[in-house]
Amino acid sequence: MFNPTVAGLTLRATLGRRRVFLFALPAVILIVLTLVLRASHPAAVVWPGAVLGDFGFSVLLPFTALITGTGVLGAEIDDGSVIHLLATPVRRADVMVTKFAVAASLTMLFAAVPELIAGLIAPNSGKLAVALFVGALVGSVIYSAAFVALSVLTNRAIAYGLLYVLIWEGVLSNLVGGARILSIAHYSLGVANAIDHDPNLRAGLTLSTSVILGVIVTIGALVLGARRLAAFAIKGEPA
Amino acid sequence: MNNTGVTSTIELTSVSRWYGNVVAVNDITMSIGPGVTGLLGPNGAGKSTILHMISGFLEPSKGTVAIDGKPSWRNPDTYRSLGLVPERDSVYAFLTGEQFVRATAKLHKLPDIDQATQRAIEMTEMSDAKHRKISTYSKGMRQRIKVAAALVHDPQVLLLDEPFNGMDPRQRLHMMDLLAKLGAEGRTIVFSSHILEEVERLASTIQVMVAGRLAASGDFRAIRRLMTSRPHVFSVRSSDDRTLAAALVNHPYTNAVELSAKGLQVRTSDFGAFCEQIAPVAAEQGITIRELLPTDETLESVFGYLISS
Amino acid sequence: MSAETQQAAGVIHDLGYRSYDGKRLGRKSIIAALTWHSFRSAFGFGRSAKAKIVPVIALVGLCLPAIVSAFAMSRGNPRLVDYDTYVPVLRDLLMTIFVAVQAPELVSRDIRSHVLPLYFSRPIKPVDYPLAKYLGFTAACLVMMEVPLLALYAGSIANVHGGAQVWAQTRALIPGLLVGLMWAVVLAAISLFIASMTGRRAFATGAVAIFFLLTYTLAEILLQVESPPDVSKVVPGGPGAPPGAVHIVQGAPAVIPLAEKVSGLFSPFTLFDGVRMWLGATDTGDNVPKVGGFGAIYAVILLIALGACLAGLAARYRKATLS
Repeated sequence: MFNPTVAGLTLRATLGRRRVFLFALPAVILIVLTLVLRASHPAAVVWPGAVLGDFGFSVLLPFTALITGTGVLGAEIDDGSVIHLLATPVRRADVMVTKFAVAASLTMLFAAVPELIAGLIAPNSGKLAVALFVGALVGSVIYSAAFVALSVLTNRAIAYGLLYVLIWEGVLSNLVGGARILSIAHYSLGVANAIDHDPNLRAGLTLSTSVILGVIVTIGALVLGARRLAAFAIKGEPA
Repeated sequence: MNNTGVTSTIELTSVSRWYGNVVAVNDITMSIGPGVTGLLGPNGAGKSTILHMISGFLEPSKGTVAIDGKPSWRNPDTYRSLGLVPERDSVYAFLTGEQFVRATAKLHKLPDIDQATQRAIEMTEMSDAKHRKISTYSKGMRQRIKVAAALVHDPQVLLLDEPFNGMDPRQRLHMMDLLAKLGAEGRTIVFSSHILEEVERLASTIQVMVAGRLAASGDFRAIRRLMTSRPHVFSVRSSDDRTLAAALVNHPYTNAVELSAKGLQVRTSDFGAFCEQIAPVAAEQGITIRELLPTDETLESVFGYLISS
Repeated sequence: MSAETQQAAGVIHDLGYRSYDGKRLGRKSIIAALTWHSFRSAFGFGRSAKAKIVPVIALVGLCLPAIVSAFAMSRGNPRLVDYDTYVPVLRDLLMTIFVAVQAPELVSRDIRSHVLPLYFSRPIKPVDYPLAKYLGFTAACLVMMEVPLLALYAGSIANVHGGAQVWAQTRALIPGLLVGLMWAVVLAAISLFIASMTGRRAFATGAVAIFFLLTYTLAEILLQVESPPDVSKVVPGGPGAPPGAVHIVQGAPAVIPLAEKVSGLFSPFTLFDGVRMWLGATDTGDNVPKVGGFGAIYAVILLIALGACLAGLAARYRKATLS
């Protein structure tokens, strides 16, 4: 299913030139922030939750996933160069899975790993760090699947992804309890909560619910994206 | 290189494609066999739409598009024997030419990647530039590397959308030679163009499209001959133009004659009759014919007549 | 036909074209026209209905508190929100979305479609193009900020009686309008600067949104962490909480530490709050930096940021290249 050639092309395209700094910057800020705060407040209990949670989990993770998820396929579809990939007998499902794997790996590298590092640097939060790391790994997978599929389905993927993260996940799912069922952040939190039960996480879903829904969303997104890719049509003016 | 005598035929049956209210392709039925076929028409005629449909990247709103009986829409296996050179300039600019062709070869799962890549690059004369990034290529070079990638798997069918765009005369000549050679090997090659000279020089069969409809198919001279509603014009130079003119006017196939210092222009509505009779008529009068040329056999005039009719 | 083909040379037909030697509108008119066009583009006018969705939703969303307040006032309640703070979270969120989606419409589209040479082959100086874009977008942001305030004002004076009350409302409105002006001027500069870096609208939207969000979260965390416990200490909720959600924690007030005073410098929104505090605002709402004596520094940093973005914007267009 995984196609190494496609993966190589995708990696080279995504990590070209200056863009790597854009990925690395928020992660670096997270770690620097943790170091600075640890130096000035070595014994505090309150700030690791905010730093790891608000910054790392609620901002760094979804937005890194958004940029990588929409970048691995969206850019090619946008400028039309995806046709060189699709004019070969390679299976569309393979393309989808490979792009997803690359996006998920990059997100793990640039969001989940820094989260772990920051968590280990922060005092008194070893267990929380591991919990959030695992949650971030899970989140990387689900977010990436969703965003890669979104970039196949629409050409305004970043805008819709942004709305989803800001409004749906940021506001609604905390106000409206039922909305948690459709919130990837909550799936990840559910997993994290199972490892280190912490009321500050405000995770609303149980582990089993989170896992089941996470798997459904991931597989559903990949299937949807693959089917759409199989019916890829060159958009254009009649000419 | 490969040809075992197997040929491919592209069949379009009552194909239409519309975008909302705009009809891009209107009920087109055509059959494209081996050799080089030129898709000719002004911008907006529907040539790209047809090519996209044949290559499986656009679904017909109505009708069927099939290559050797199998539809190309939603059928990635089609690409084992089909190569597409799209019009859009976008290629993976961060790769070198060779990396691009090689990656395509890998995606086709070819048995000998090095050899296929090498061959394709040499065929398109890109060996000198293959180690440079595509972002440094000129437009003509990008076209050629796209052709190389489309040829790397030795396809039976090759589709090119405005392939000579951006090529200088030498590159164009070379590409035409390449395509002619491939066509002579029995491959089915279809290319689109709105430049009459290109199509005239390269295509053995043309399909003329105007405003989404198929206006004419076949050999362009044959098409011309079919248009009996327009008279043929010949220019004749002889030893005695005036007498010849007078003699010709007497015959029913002559519509008009015009005398000038450069010679005689004869308009005739019956090509066949004129050709048969000009020699005996001249001989009867004791006139020697020095030059007899059809003046508007070129695609230009065909095209012009088709468009304005 | 043959007569024509046998003629030499060619004929130039007189189609009635005349050259224009009269007065031409100058540079100022071009800038004015481009500003007006930019202002309209910021709301999606001149394009399909889909382009108007985000601005309309943002504007309506921003006006909702005003409408609700007017309704509540008609029932006898006092005004629900202040003119200068309004509803902070809503305004932060909706303005972020507005500038993130619309700034690329103004600048990234021109880059993508390679029309910059068309603009620059007119008798304008290179700085005129970014100037016009900036003025147009600032005006648009101003509309987004002030219209809700004016709606709030209208709703309020409709429900109060007596000249003194109306005057009180008016006096409260003016600072609010000035705060709105500050927001518009700075947000337009930052978002246009970031968006002008790329021709891909989606990318630019992501970049602008992430910039504002990242800096906001950073500043909020610092603020929350650095402020010592006091009576009304509020703590942002943990992961998964919306920005602005609170827990109340007991404590005792103390001297404002330096670290807290500078925490608000890291985000445009907290910079706005800092300047407000410096100019005499007295709210102690959550996530508002207590600036102590540092208020002037907030203003300076804000001005520097504004200047840097405008300079960057102008520099970006100094050379009129194709992309």
